[in-house]
Amino acid sequence: MLFKISEYVDVKKKAEQLGFDIPTGIALLPQNFDIATSKGQLVHESTTQTVRVLWRQNGIIETALEHEEDKIPTVAEKSLDWVGPTIFISALYLSQNSKLVSLAIDIIANYLADFFRGIPKRDRKIKISFITETKDGCYKRIEYEGPPEKLRASIKEIQKISNE
Amino acid sequence: MNRQAKIFQKKVSNVFAETSKFLFISVDLELQTKKTKDLLKLKDEASYIKSEAIEKQDEDSANALLSMESIIEALIDELRMWVALKKDDPNKAWDFLVNAQYATRHALQAHNLLKRSHAISYCKRLYLLEKLLFPPQLFFSPCFITERAECSICGSEYGKCNHVVGKAYMGKLCCRIIKEIKEIKEVSIVKAPANKHNRIMCFSNGKHMKDTMTLRNCERGK
Repeated sequence: MLFKISEYVDVKKKAEQLGFDIPTGIALLPQNFDIATSKGQLVHESTTQTVRVLWRQNGIIETALEHEEDKIPTVAEKSLDWVGPTIFISALYLSQNSKLVSLAIDIIANYLADFFRGIPKRDRKIKISFITETKDGCYKRIEYEGPPEKLRASIKEIQKISNE
Repeated sequence: MNRQAKIFQKKVSNVFAETSKFLFISVDLELQTKKTKDLLKLKDEASYIKSEAIEKQDEDSANALLSMESIIEALIDELRMWVALKKDDPNKAWDFLVNAQYATRHALQAHNLLKRSHAISYCKRLYLLEKLLFPPQLFFSPCFITERAECSICGSEYGKCNHVVGKAYMGKLCCRIIKEIKEIKEVSIVKAPANKHNRIMCFSNGKHMKDTMTLRNCERGK
């Protein structure tokens, strides 16, 4: 299955608990944001900075959780799979900037098309998570695991979940 | 791409076709060794033309030449693989094959010029050779937490500059150089690693340590 949907923690409350800014738009969350009990435990995926650079170059403004001085280490998993960051998209951002959300995902998909050049198609696998708010104020995690070419299908899935 | 790079591209294309005749186990060992030397000279030529493009700040040509340099490197490594196999050294042969696979990948990442070329089928061939010539391998895959990583292009903290992993900039591919490891979390045994050089090389049959490639008894410490 390409998508796995599950409950997620209240992002706003959790950000407050950890002493971070509340992400209001689109943001890259640390891998273990939902289970960490302190800032010191948090880790980003090694691909987080790459996505940040790509977004910055293409005018996607992230309302980052952490400040410049908050150094969150990264986890380097040396498998062939590309493990992407956890992308938080607030309900407001999704409703007002759906084109930007599509663009944000397109930018990653385009990068991956180049990144996986020279690797047989059957070996190309990515994992990435999206966190979105539903209409009733709950938070859901949408995990995508599959070929990079189908990443764009996440856009519809995110919109479907947020309308629940 | 500048004129010199275009002329060189034609040369590489011809050499690629010519070299493909040498990429078989039946071909004479000395001829394969000689071909490797010829290709090394061609690779030096590519590096020289690339350095000229870099001097002129011609990024497109520099990246195209990096792509050509990498594909020549792949051919050299494949030839070396055949030579190593004939010299009864499959462990070395494996490393050459993996180098050839990585070099082909870099060639395809560095520039679009090989996107619709023989390089795609060459790439598939290298993966097929892996399956046909060597027994299935298991690999070590470390997972660690890093505090600091640098950009290989400009040396600044990765993520602060505008370079991204896997893209070519002025004849060089960008990668993240890990400078500080905070913690090693685990080492897993996987079938699809990021680095195929991190291989399990011996196993125990209860009595002896055996080489995974040759099934010969391993010498202690090797």
